[in-house]
Amino acid sequence: MIDLQAETPEKTEKIKSDLLTVNMGPQHPATHGVLRVEIKTDSEIVAEATPYLGYLHRCMEKHSENLDYRGVIPFVDRMDYLGSMSMEWGYALTIEKMLGTEVPRRAEYIRTIVGELQRVASHLMFFGTYAIDLGAFSPFLYAFQDREDILRIFEELSGARLLYNYIWIGGVWNDINDDQLRRIAKFCDTMEENLKKYHTLVGGNAIFIGRTANVGVISEEMAYRYGATGPVLRGSGIDWDLRKKRPYGLYEELDFDVIVGKGEKGQVGDCWDRYQVRVLEMFESIKIIRQCLDGIEEGPIIGKVPKIIKVPAGEIYMRTECPRGELGYHLISDGGKTPYRLKVKSSCFTHVSMLGEMAPGQMIADFVASIGSIDIVLGEVDR
Amino acid sequence: MNAKDLSTLAPLREEEPLTFGKWLKNIWTAARTVTKGMGITFKYVYGVKPVTIEYPEVREELPANSRSRLFNDVDNCISCMQCANACPVDCIYITAVRRDKDAPKIKTDGGTAIKLDLKQYTIDTALCCYCGLCTAACPTECITHTTDYEFSQYTVTEMKYDYLAPDIRAWKHRIVDK
Repeated sequence: MIDLQAETPEKTEKIKSDLLTVNMGPQHPATHGVLRVEIKTDSEIVAEATPYLGYLHRCMEKHSENLDYRGVIPFVDRMDYLGSMSMEWGYALTIEKMLGTEVPRRAEYIRTIVGELQRVASHLMFFGTYAIDLGAFSPFLYAFQDREDILRIFEELSGARLLYNYIWIGGVWNDINDDQLRRIAKFCDTMEENLKKYHTLVGGNAIFIGRTANVGVISEEMAYRYGATGPVLRGSGIDWDLRKKRPYGLYEELDFDVIVGKGEKGQVGDCWDRYQVRVLEMFESIKIIRQCLDGIEEGPIIGKVPKIIKVPAGEIYMRTECPRGELGYHLISDGGKTPYRLKVKSSCFTHVSMLGEMAPGQMIADFVASIGSIDIVLGEVDR
Repeated sequence: MNAKDLSTLAPLREEEPLTFGKWLKNIWTAARTVTKGMGITFKYVYGVKPVTIEYPEVREELPANSRSRLFNDVDNCISCMQCANACPVDCIYITAVRRDKDAPKIKTDGGTAIKLDLKQYTIDTALCCYCGLCTAACPTECITHTTDYEFSQYTVTEMKYDYLAPDIRAWKHRIVDK
């Protein structure tokens, strides 16, 4: 066989392949919704990736300007449909802060329980779909089986499986009964056992580590530059959790750790770190739920809220730690029955914009792993 | 767009030279961890209860406060319009006229006097977002969510329910008074 490179080195250097433009999405199983990424590739290597958004834009912010403050909650649910409880909680906190409403202790406990259950459900969804992205199918089924238990509890509490409208301004809609509390406690036990099993199955697998370690690295500097939040930020080795740093609700009294990526299998901030942060966060959530189950108090579940809510004129920015990162509500009120402007700062939006910088130099299969690891929900990106 | 020179892009993975020992070690770790994982999955083959149900034959019983199709008990409705005002998607249409002074006085089951005659009570179920805000606003608790979830239709207009129609009124005994 003739070695071309050895014979004419200057000739082979001139051979340049053209870049091929490939559209990934909007209907693509690996993009988790209707995200379109335009990729310019040289054979298997991605040279440039541009995400295009807006396929799921529903004018949620504009709609809310014509709705009364209670009527916005069903719309807020539909932003991040895998973390509806957290979305509602942030919105309710925003309005309560403006009204100066005091939330009863029991309602705070219930909110924390459902908020953390929602975090577990959302991370289970990530766990299952991320395994599918990388070619493992059965973890998806196991994750959904456990998620079903959470959804069943939510269905009994609120009446819906996905879009709850459960956390209201001033408290929660329905009370939780002892049977449900017992079932949540039982769920915590089984979940903890199952999670250890799942983590060995997926996180310990050499093929999974090979696919995720050192792939899609988000350095500390890059995470700061883009304003990443949530598990993506913590995966890059930055100890920042709003539940600890700017506590809201009951988090000040609760004892839990913030999980930070340490780069165990590769570099700090790679896909494996983000996966590990999410899985270990589920254990912390279970810890929080157990403390709430022990400390739950009797009492009313909804505070004193006027029948027609009129928020005093002013401005507020309130942020909460959602399963996918920080969610911010910027509310401007002119004293009327409807918001004058409600701007939502979504974490997924910032994470999607990081794809353009993560992609160059990656293989296409690694790019799929990168998209999966930032765990986006397009409903929240486009709103 | 100018074609980027790919040689300037630094590869993310630094390739270490693969020795024979490393190659064997890689195979060993892969085999070990995969077997461990397969052990976990094999436990699910036997001895685990099936979690799925075969839908049309076996139906899941929904919780009592499940939010499915809306039902309005028009006999107890006082036409106060609070549900229509609370609705975030405006899918409830109500028409009511003042009741004649000579007409016999009627009351709801709860004892509230009905002062308006309900002429139309229509809900466009295709528009409804099942948020439950109307049921929370209702003072006489006549509008409720039922656990009835099978109501697909061939056309959108069939999704408009006129709750004064006799066939829909009969739902009261089928669903609510169960």
